[in-house]
Amino acid sequence: MSFMQPSPVKYACSCGILNPINTLFFCRHCPKLRCGFCVTHEIESHFCSNCLENIPSTEARHKKNCCANCFDCPCCQHTLSARASTVPVVRKSEEAKEPKDGDSKGEATPPVPASSKPSAVPTTKKMYYLSCLSCRWTTRDVGIPDQGVATGTWPDNECLYQARFNALVEYFQAVVLQEKQEKLEFMRRKAPKQHKFPSLTDRTGLTVSLIRRQIGWNDKAPKAKAVITPAEATAEVEGLPENIFTEPLNLRNVTTITQRHSQPADQPTAVGSLYPQRRSLWIKRSLRCRQCEHNLIKPEYHPTSIKYRIQHFASYHVPEVVMVRCEQPLVAGKSNAILLKLTNPTIYDMTIRLLTASPPEDPQLSTEATRVAKEEPISSSPLLKAVGITLSRQNSTREVKRDVIDISNAEIVPLESEFVLNQRDDSKEFDEDVQLSTEEPKFIVWRKGNKVLLRLQFTPAEELSGLADVVLGFYMQYTYVNTVNNAQEKREPTTHVLHSRVFITAGATEQKAN
Amino acid sequence: MEIPDTYYSKDEYVETASGNKVSRHTVLCGSQNIILNGKVIVQSGAIIRGDLANVRTGRYCVIGKNSVIRPPYKQFSKGIAFFPMHVGEHVFVGEGAVVSAATIGSYVYIGKNAIIGRRCVLKDCCAIEDGAVLPPETTVSSYMRYTARGTIEGGQGNPYFVPAAMQDEMINYTKSFYEHFVRAPAPAS
Repeated sequence: MSFMQPSPVKYACSCGILNPINTLFFCRHCPKLRCGFCVTHEIESHFCSNCLENIPSTEARHKKNCCANCFDCPCCQHTLSARASTVPVVRKSEEAKEPKDGDSKGEATPPVPASSKPSAVPTTKKMYYLSCLSCRWTTRDVGIPDQGVATGTWPDNECLYQARFNALVEYFQAVVLQEKQEKLEFMRRKAPKQHKFPSLTDRTGLTVSLIRRQIGWNDKAPKAKAVITPAEATAEVEGLPENIFTEPLNLRNVTTITQRHSQPADQPTAVGSLYPQRRSLWIKRSLRCRQCEHNLIKPEYHPTSIKYRIQHFASYHVPEVVMVRCEQPLVAGKSNAILLKLTNPTIYDMTIRLLTASPPEDPQLSTEATRVAKEEPISSSPLLKAVGITLSRQNSTREVKRDVIDISNAEIVPLESEFVLNQRDDSKEFDEDVQLSTEEPKFIVWRKGNKVLLRLQFTPAEELSGLADVVLGFYMQYTYVNTVNNAQEKREPTTHVLHSRVFITAGATEQKAN
Repeated sequence: MEIPDTYYSKDEYVETASGNKVSRHTVLCGSQNIILNGKVIVQSGAIIRGDLANVRTGRYCVIGKNSVIRPPYKQFSKGIAFFPMHVGEHVFVGEGAVVSAATIGSYVYIGKNAIIGRRCVLKDCCAIEDGAVLPPETTVSSYMRYTARGTIEGGQGNPYFVPAAMQDEMINYTKSFYEHFVRAPAPAS
C-alpha cells in the first residue's frame, strides 16, 4: 500500500541483496544498482535535530558531537525544554538573587497567579529550569538550581575521572602523533627525495621540520614528554556499605539500565544523581559508489533543506515494476496471471523484455568494470574514513559479491516479444486524449504515457503447501540511455542494454479446494 | 503495490471546485477558519477544530478516518492561547491520529493512531510510525522517523529508515491516493 509497508516487488542489487526500489540507487558510471550496503557512507554535515542548527565538523569534534544548547532527559531520553518561572526577588538581601530550591518549588509553577502577594513590591525575575514533557522530570527533582538564562549556562556534569581521562587522551594523542612522525621519517629516509621544494599544502606539520633542516636549524624540536602515571590494580576492594543490608531497597530510586547507559561517565545507580545529558548530534550522509567513487546522493548542507545536490535514486533510472493484482486466487499448480504496471522514469524510450534466464553480460560494460576494479587498490575500511583518520582520500573498493538467492517458486510463461516503454513526459499528464492503440502485443492491457499495464502468466509450483508465499522471479532487460560517458572522445549519449533481477511476492496460496 | 480504488458514494462526499473531497460525516468546527488548498481528502469521522485557531493545509493532503486536527495551545500566566496550524503539501494523516502540532512540513507521513502532542514541529519529509506518541514540543527534523517506541532514527542520506526519495514517494502516494479515491459508479437503474 504505502512505502511504510514492505513492498512486494524487490530488485536484486548488484551486490546480491534484495531491496525494494525506493532504497536502491543507480550509479550512472558503472552502470549498476547499488544499495545502502554496497556504498560508502560519508558524513556530509552535523546538526542538532532539536534546534536544527548546523554545526561544522571541527566544532562538532570539539564539542564531543553534542549540541551546546539542547539537553536530553536522563530519565526517558526525550528532549528537555526550558520552562520559565517568575520568582519574587527579595529587595533587602542583595546576595539572595539565587532562590533556594525550597522557595522556588513552592511558588513557581509556570502559571504563577498574577498577584499572589499584593502587598509586596512587584519585583520579579524570570528563572528557568529544564523540564521533560514526556516523563515530567525536571532539573528541580535533582536539586540543580534554576538559571537566569534559558540556554548556555547549565553546568556540565563533571565526573570524578574527568581529569584522569583528559590526561590519558592527551597522552595517547601525543603517542599517535609521535608514531606518525616516526613512520613518515622512516619513509622519507627510505624513499629518494622526490621534490626539491617542500609542499606547502602538507598538513602533517612535517613541512616545518623540513624547512628547519634546510636552513640549518636543529630539526629536533623539543618534544614535551607526556607522562602519565599508570593505573595500579589493587586486590583490596572496599566492602559494601552497611546500609545496603539494613535499609529496604526502594526500586523507584534505582536507575534503569538505559538511564545508566545514557550517562556513561558516572552511570548513576540512584535517580537522585541523574543529570541532563547534552543531546548528541545527527548527521547527513552522502553515499558514494565504491567502485567508481562517484557520489550517488549528496544532500544539501543545511539541516532544514530536503534537497539533494546529487541524487541518483534507482527510481529515476530503472523502470519501476508495481504489482497491481493477481487475477485469480493463488492455488499451487494452477495457472494464474498477474497484472504488473511498469513505469519509465527516464526521458528516453525503453525497450523492455522479461526473461526467465540470465541474459549475457554486456561485453563492453563487463570489461570496463574489471579494468576499473583492477586499477584501484584495496584500501582502508570505510569506518576509518568516516572518522576522518586517513590522511589522503582513500576508498574501499572491494566489492562484496554474492549470488542472488533464487527464491522464486513459480513458473513464468515468458512474454512472446519485447515492448517499448515510452519516455516520461510531464506535460502528458494533463492531456485528456487516450493514445491510439497501435499494434500492441497481446499481453499489454493498457498504456498511458510512460506507463504500461501488462499481464504475466505464471503457475505456482506444484509442491507448494497451503499458505506459502508465491514468489515470481524474472530478469527484466531494458535499454538505458546513459548521458554520462566515461570515455572522453565521444560525447553523444550511449545506449546500454541492462538487466535487473526482480522478485515479486504475489501473495499466499490458498488451500487446494478438493 | 498499487493502491486499490476506494469508492465513495455521491451522497457522502462533497467535492469543491478546487478538488477537495470532504465527507459529510466530519466535524469541521469554525469552517471559515479552515483553508484546504485543493485536492485535499477529508475522510469520514475526521474532526478539524477551526474554531480554536486557523487551520491551513496545502494541496494533496489526506486526513484519514476518525483523525483529529486540533490547533496547539500554549499556557501563559494569564490563561491559554491557541496558535494557528499549518500543514504542508502531500501530507498523509493516518486513521485515528490526533494531531496538535504547531507546524507540519510537506511530504510528511503520520501513521495510524499516532498522537502528535501540542506544539510539535514536524519538518519536511519526516515520518511518524503507526501508534507513535510524540510528547509536546518535540521537533522531528527532516528524514527522521519517530518510532512507536519513542525514539528518533534516520537522517538524510541514511537509506535504512526514511527513503531518500521521500519527497517523490509522498507525491506519488498522495496523488495516486487522490486519483484512486473515486466516486462509486451510479447503480444501473
